[in-house]
Amino acid sequence: MSARMLVAGLGAVALLVTGCGGSAPMGAGGAAAGRDEGPVKIGALHPVSGSNAVDGLQMRRGAQLAVDAINAAGGIKSLGGRKVELVTGDTQGKADIGQSEAQRLISAGAVSLVGTYQSAVSTNVAVVAERNRVPFVMDVTASDAIFSHGYRYSFRVQPGSKAIATAAAQYLKAVSDQAGKPVRKVAFLHEQSDFGSGAADAFTAAAKQLGIGIGPNISYDATTVSDLTAQVTQVKASGADVLAVAGYYRDSLLAAKAIASVKPDLNAVWGVSNGAYDQPKFVADAGALGNLYFSANYHYDATNPETVTLREKYQKQYGDPMRTGAVLSYDAVQVIAHGVEQAASTDPEKVRDAIAGAQVAPLTVGRGQIQFAPNGDNRNAFPVLMQVRDGRVQQVYPPEKAESRPDYRVAWRP
Amino acid sequence: MTELDTGAPVVPETAPPDRKAKADKGFLGRAGIVAAVLVVAIVLALVQSGSGLVVWQSVVTGILTGGLYGLIAMGLTLIFGVLDIVNFAHGAFLAVAMFISFGMVQATGLHPYLTLVVAVPVLFLLGAAVHRGLLSGAGGRSLENQLLITLGLSLLLENGLLMFFGAEPKTIALPGDFQFPLLGAVVAGSRLYAFLGAIVLGGLLFWLLRRTRLGTAIRAVAANASGAALVGINVRRMHTLTFAIGTACAGAAAVLAGPLVTVTPTLGEQFNITAFVVVVLGGMGNVVGALVGGLLIGLVEQLTTIYLGGQSSLLGVFVVFVLVLFLRPQGLFGRRA
Amino acid sequence: MSTITIAAPSNSDVVKAPSLRPQNRQFAILAILVVVAIPLPLILPAAQGAVAVRILIFLLMAVGWNIMSGFGGMFSFGHAAYFGLGAYTSAYLLVKHNVSPWIGMLAGMVVAAAVAVVIGFFSFRYKLQGAYFALATFAFAEMLRLIVTSSAFANKSVGYSVPLIQGSSLWQIQFPADSPAYFWVALFLAGAAVAISIGFLHSRAGRYVTAIRDDELAAASLGAPVLRHKLMTVALSAAITAVAGAFYTQYYLFVNPDLGFGSAISIQAIVPVVIGGIGTVWGPVVGAIIIGSLTDVTATLLRTPPGFLGFLQGRSGLDVVLYAVLVILIVRLLPKGIVGTLAARWRR
Repeated sequence: MSARMLVAGLGAVALLVTGCGGSAPMGAGGAAAGRDEGPVKIGALHPVSGSNAVDGLQMRRGAQLAVDAINAAGGIKSLGGRKVELVTGDTQGKADIGQSEAQRLISAGAVSLVGTYQSAVSTNVAVVAERNRVPFVMDVTASDAIFSHGYRYSFRVQPGSKAIATAAAQYLKAVSDQAGKPVRKVAFLHEQSDFGSGAADAFTAAAKQLGIGIGPNISYDATTVSDLTAQVTQVKASGADVLAVAGYYRDSLLAAKAIASVKPDLNAVWGVSNGAYDQPKFVADAGALGNLYFSANYHYDATNPETVTLREKYQKQYGDPMRTGAVLSYDAVQVIAHGVEQAASTDPEKVRDAIAGAQVAPLTVGRGQIQFAPNGDNRNAFPVLMQVRDGRVQQVYPPEKAESRPDYRVAWRP
Repeated sequence: MTELDTGAPVVPETAPPDRKAKADKGFLGRAGIVAAVLVVAIVLALVQSGSGLVVWQSVVTGILTGGLYGLIAMGLTLIFGVLDIVNFAHGAFLAVAMFISFGMVQATGLHPYLTLVVAVPVLFLLGAAVHRGLLSGAGGRSLENQLLITLGLSLLLENGLLMFFGAEPKTIALPGDFQFPLLGAVVAGSRLYAFLGAIVLGGLLFWLLRRTRLGTAIRAVAANASGAALVGINVRRMHTLTFAIGTACAGAAAVLAGPLVTVTPTLGEQFNITAFVVVVLGGMGNVVGALVGGLLIGLVEQLTTIYLGGQSSLLGVFVVFVLVLFLRPQGLFGRRA
Repeated sequence: MSTITIAAPSNSDVVKAPSLRPQNRQFAILAILVVVAIPLPLILPAAQGAVAVRILIFLLMAVGWNIMSGFGGMFSFGHAAYFGLGAYTSAYLLVKHNVSPWIGMLAGMVVAAAVAVVIGFFSFRYKLQGAYFALATFAFAEMLRLIVTSSAFANKSVGYSVPLIQGSSLWQIQFPADSPAYFWVALFLAGAAVAISIGFLHSRAGRYVTAIRDDELAAASLGAPVLRHKLMTVALSAAITAVAGAFYTQYYLFVNPDLGFGSAISIQAIVPVVIGGIGTVWGPVVGAIIIGSLTDVTATLLRTPPGFLGFLQGRSGLDVVLYAVLVILIVRLLPKGIVGTLAARWRR
């Protein structure tokens, strides 16, 4: 209980007894402590308290399932079957806490980190990883900015914001052409931070290349918005035939309610990296409102039998359907374990090199094996198009990943 | 003692009684100015957006949302005006009441509005307990202590809800929700109900404060606590009662607003700031002012979205807030209730 | 400097009275504290070292806030504005123009002080007091946050990442991750801030400021230039808070609108002071140490709970609940803060 000791120490410095003090054993030692013996430690950093706790906990469990699977298969064979252990940290969704937790996990001997769900926290943890020369494999992190700094130790499994938005525009073109109702003009409704406006910018750029008109481009503040009716009315007045929405869960649900009451003359509602439209919870919450909504996003591969087995196992163990984020954490831990296996070492530097050259088959949708570009981004990361159909989210495009064919229309128009 | 920790009102009350007629005239004048500014703002919005339908829908949405803001701010203005407590836990009280409503609907399948019967009394008791236990007495007198206690309380309530209900966002479905067109704009039934609820609640509070003995006592305590004590009013009890009534209002607001929002433990934050702006705008302690202030803020939000695309609607709200603080700190309709 | 002549107000409100003892004693205590703290990073494990640096950043903010709100009696609920300005000014200069963070820190102090004077001027001109003043400062901080969030020149909501350099450099305030140098730089800054706050409290200006706080009318009628001293206090307070922001950016190597200007920052500046004792020299120090380590202690306790608390492990939100309960308890039981209560008892 080294934090106690800290309080005791500092308390003495301040010539005061805080009551939290007391004798306590010495905490973890210097950086490399315990890396060479005992289980191989992988540090998982997720927001398991605070408002993102549900996803954070899902992802921590996803990582744990991966560790269990590796151990069940005999541990790290190149290290004589050494077991793997997940050491966990709670970022509380805060960047500075994320940083000190990352430091703690590295001090505890983690050969690599996995996390963190939020871009701002990942940005901070990436710096810690870089400076401690410990690889950091991101499971969920939308922001592309992290990969523009030339970091050597940062890797990412999920497709970035730009990759998703670009693919979303291409899918829209293809699906609307196929349906014989080629898209003319897309209205874009997005939350105004990095996440939403980044998606809007990338989508606009890709749409222009495909000859799709864009406008109006409407943003809102996700933290305070309580009604989007006026914004959707603006969409209706503009005559756009598709409405693209990039937002978080709560505001995207608000948008769905507004769309249902305004009923603009659309051919499709198109989620781009949308935090709601591919969630089973959205299907339950929105009911008929959300039927036939499309969503281009990263997703667990529903067509892969291994993924199906994993999700069944998760459901049985935790009584909860496994989300995409958790499957991504699973993939990320597999990448790390693969790196350790290849490096035959727990030296983070060697593990980093092995991860950089790794090829691992993902359980999330991808264009192929997970393989990292020089900047650390997953070369084969690849979003899929989903649609809410008969109370279920189904993969509909591209055809090789499709569970059913896309139905290009909206529920309130024939 | 500094001005921070006296129990006296922060706003100097300068108007002697014989100026009541004048004050009324000033009141009408101000209302006229506000109305004129609003009309100009709406015309400008028309020019800016070029679509009558969009502006009309914005105005309708603004008024309906504004009713909701007014509803939430009413309890807060009572507490602020009478007790001089800047209650940062108001949003958390709102969240607690929403979870009560959600839990009852989930467990018993009641109509959401019927949960008022439980949510309001529970919040009343909670408010009374919080005031007695945490805010009355020496520890709760200074502004900084109030701030920390109410902030700590909101952390406590929010995270208590988080532990109990989990972070998963919840929704309360309103059976038989409908919408109807109003000259081209759409009006959702649930929002209209919340709006009407705000007017009813405002009327109820107004009646309570103006026409009952209890209300007279509360107003006496607000105007001059030591004077009220001299004529035999139990000031501490009045404070507790007022605080409890204020939180009970949050309970009523939460039940009416429940079907409109996604229920999460931290949802109060979203409304707390706006509610404070509304309180200052309407004049603290002024229940009807809170309703009108809410409508104004609802409109300001919507118009900001039209004027400054890409900006948060909050920016416009804060600009109006700062202007009001500087130019008319007692609020646009600044007479105490 | 002359000795202190201001007497404590005759009523029981001793917290806010300046100390009657010579400031030399306070300087001596400060020197001892700093000397004792110097070897800390060599003793503490790396993760606790990070907590220690965080405490010092809290301390800087707390000292800054205390000058304005404790000594000056102007309750600010918007110190995030100055923290953010310090952070953003230094980050902008470093990232865009490759200016040393030390110079960026100075620039941030100037910018923050200037903005504080403007905000202060209007607030005092329109006689905002108490809760209204607090709400106004809050509104200004939020407005800054919203403007920065949508301004392209400040990188919108992405914020700035400080470029990493090879090796370490004091001039660039960048060292290897677990280097004790971060702690020492922070200790130097925090020590200087406390020293300035001691010096200010006992200076002529400081005595005017506390006199104005205790009775503005009386002070003005005795010829104290009220507005000038209030603005001076506000500027000094903002400048120290800006140092915290600039150092924060260097230490965490990243800042975005929420981390710089978010309302959580304003609260972080207030909580340690109120816990420690508002208007006292040592209140911010004690408060920052307690609050800075509290989150970590509760988190650690819950991660590896002692046997009888085992059922609590992994309950999300519980550590914040504990934190909130402790804060409420301290405020309720020691309404004048730890130092304030101790001082009152000592004098009795």
